[in-house]
Amino acid sequence: MLFWQQIVLNTQDQSIMKFLTQPPRFLFFTGKGGVGKTSIACAAAIQLAETGQRVLLVSTDPASNVGQVFGINIGNHIIAIPNITGLSALEIDPQAAAQVYRNRIVDPVRGVLPDSVVKGIEEQLSGACTTEIAAFNEFTALLIDSVLTADYDHIIFDTAPTGHTIRLLQLPTAWSDFLEAGKGDSSCLGPLAGLEKQRSQYTAAVDALADPVRTRLILVARAQQTTLREAARTHEELAAIGLLQQYLVINGILLAGETEGDSLALAIFEREQAALNAIPDVLKTLPCDYIMLKPFNLVGLDALRQLLIESAPQTPVAMDSPIELNAPTLSELVNGIAADGHGLVMLMGKGGVGKTTLAAAIAVELAHRGLPVHLTTSDPAAHLTETLNGVLDNLTVSRIDPHAETERYRQHVLDTKGAKLDTQGRALLEEDLRSPCTEEIAVFQAFSRIIREAGKKFVVMDTAPTGHTLLLLDATGAYHREVARQMTGGIHYLTPMMQLQDPKQTKVLLVTLAETTPVLEAANLQDDLRRAGIEPWAWIINNSVALAQPHSPLLRQRALNELDKITSVADGYSQRYAVVPLLKKEPVGIGCLLELSRYAGD
Amino acid sequence: MTTIQVFDPALCCSTGVCGVDVDQELVGFSADVEWAKQQGVNIERFNLAQQPLAFAENATVKSFLERSGSDALPLILVAGDIALAGRYPNRAELAHWANFTVATEAAEPAKKCCSGSKSC
Repeated sequence: MLFWQQIVLNTQDQSIMKFLTQPPRFLFFTGKGGVGKTSIACAAAIQLAETGQRVLLVSTDPASNVGQVFGINIGNHIIAIPNITGLSALEIDPQAAAQVYRNRIVDPVRGVLPDSVVKGIEEQLSGACTTEIAAFNEFTALLIDSVLTADYDHIIFDTAPTGHTIRLLQLPTAWSDFLEAGKGDSSCLGPLAGLEKQRSQYTAAVDALADPVRTRLILVARAQQTTLREAARTHEELAAIGLLQQYLVINGILLAGETEGDSLALAIFEREQAALNAIPDVLKTLPCDYIMLKPFNLVGLDALRQLLIESAPQTPVAMDSPIELNAPTLSELVNGIAADGHGLVMLMGKGGVGKTTLAAAIAVELAHRGLPVHLTTSDPAAHLTETLNGVLDNLTVSRIDPHAETERYRQHVLDTKGAKLDTQGRALLEEDLRSPCTEEIAVFQAFSRIIREAGKKFVVMDTAPTGHTLLLLDATGAYHREVARQMTGGIHYLTPMMQLQDPKQTKVLLVTLAETTPVLEAANLQDDLRRAGIEPWAWIINNSVALAQPHSPLLRQRALNELDKITSVADGYSQRYAVVPLLKKEPVGIGCLLELSRYAGD
Repeated sequence: MTTIQVFDPALCCSTGVCGVDVDQELVGFSADVEWAKQQGVNIERFNLAQQPLAFAENATVKSFLERSGSDALPLILVAGDIALAGRYPNRAELAHWANFTVATEAAEPAKKCCSGSKSC
């Protein structure tokens, strides 16, 4: 039997998704960006609520779009979702959580200590580490029994893209271990005074995560090698910290019926079936659900209710309506980058929009023109070498590996600042350097080092998904303020932030898809960047079905849906833009990447 | 037994390793405090960014902050009286306050004062 026939049988067999049968108290949805975590988490929350359960839906993504999916503003406090009895939602906002934390520390002394002193305390508590720990505390508070959580039968977590989430789920163990090993007040407990008191909360969180009766992890993937491989890696990393109750959902599958007379649809179908047949071994034993590709955008209650139900009604499409799209290619966009001879090119955007692929395509295009390029990534989950799958003159590749960078930073501090200490002092410093806080600093320093290289050559940087990147920029801003404060009186200095703000040094490219939510997210990111004094140089719309001119009804419907999104980017949001097509082949390898940047339509 | 109280500026943590740059003086002083504790000295540290109430509730510290601001920290009280301000003490000074002598250990020279304030 062919794979797709199994899928059809499989979905006919059951009226309810396996991952939703006998649901435990905590359900975590995780996966590579863009696989549909948020849509599936929202749909699952609706389904449970509509069977009479009391459900809390929580987003741990600093760039959450749960609110957009429901068409309301949620934010950092629990609110009831209109029109769905029993469903409430919360978006953990690291910045807001940090503000609450700051107020708790500072409010008692406001008006008691001098204003300048209070201001100094607030500045001290405005860095990335405070932000991360404050958000983390909100997260663990939801995993313990309390007044806050007693009202809910189920708590559903829509998590940030993989790299960030693995860190979030590993932190309870990391902090517990750190507190365990720590020597009371001598330890670097970061900005959390009295973190000792949090110990029982962290221990309870670790227990809850490792308890299969209470916690189920749902790995969401697409029928693509890359997302399946990432699901396999996540499976192993989280199983290692005791999260053993795991399910797999493969989303957005194109069925055989859609391939008739359409070479693109057929290519996608064959590519997907090949990916499913080659599914990594570790995933084979997991209970698995399949969700078919839908012709509509997943926004609003009706669309969400249909997501987990098969045979969604098809909107008929007029087959002869022309899909016309004339847009600049990525290669044309690269002309403007190449003209400067050097500089930093940063690709930013929501997870899953193809930042890694496009960063590789831009680097290949520049190197192909004989220009020196360093391609790198700050995304712990990115795999540039898998995407490039080859070598090219003028092109070097690296990655900022948080573990390696943290180790390098620790060693560096011990070798320099710790050089003259006695044994005891050195042991104390080593202890402090084991604080999970140091990772933030180490990654920032690696980032700064790479930025400096862009004075001589091209540095193309694939960044982690939005939320994580915003935190990195936050660290960059905090560092800049600190340097600015210390360098008074006309001393010349240049911080990484100033380099990011200088359009001659840095070009920020926003990557999006021609779909409602990704475009809105990119626009939000653009606003955030502008607030930080960084003006995005261009937008890239990736995976365009419209540019590929499909014939299958489902793909034509999706292509038509794209056109007004592309117009809104071209005429509204961006100064300049490019459109990159959905290719028949997965864009892996140097030849394929060149084809991607030069494709101008059939 | 004499109590030594150290009122630190707003720090990420006692060694400052969480900050954007590690302050050598803080690393050294943290080691000195650990050493003093091993000698049985009663020594406490308060971080302005974590325990501002301890600063507000101590009249001596509060009026020091009002007069000189947080840039003048650290402030060291011995038995409640101001013993030193603007820099961290060395081992000889700690030993002197606690009424014991440092055997042969060379006291580290006091280094330049630094605000030590790091965002974390």
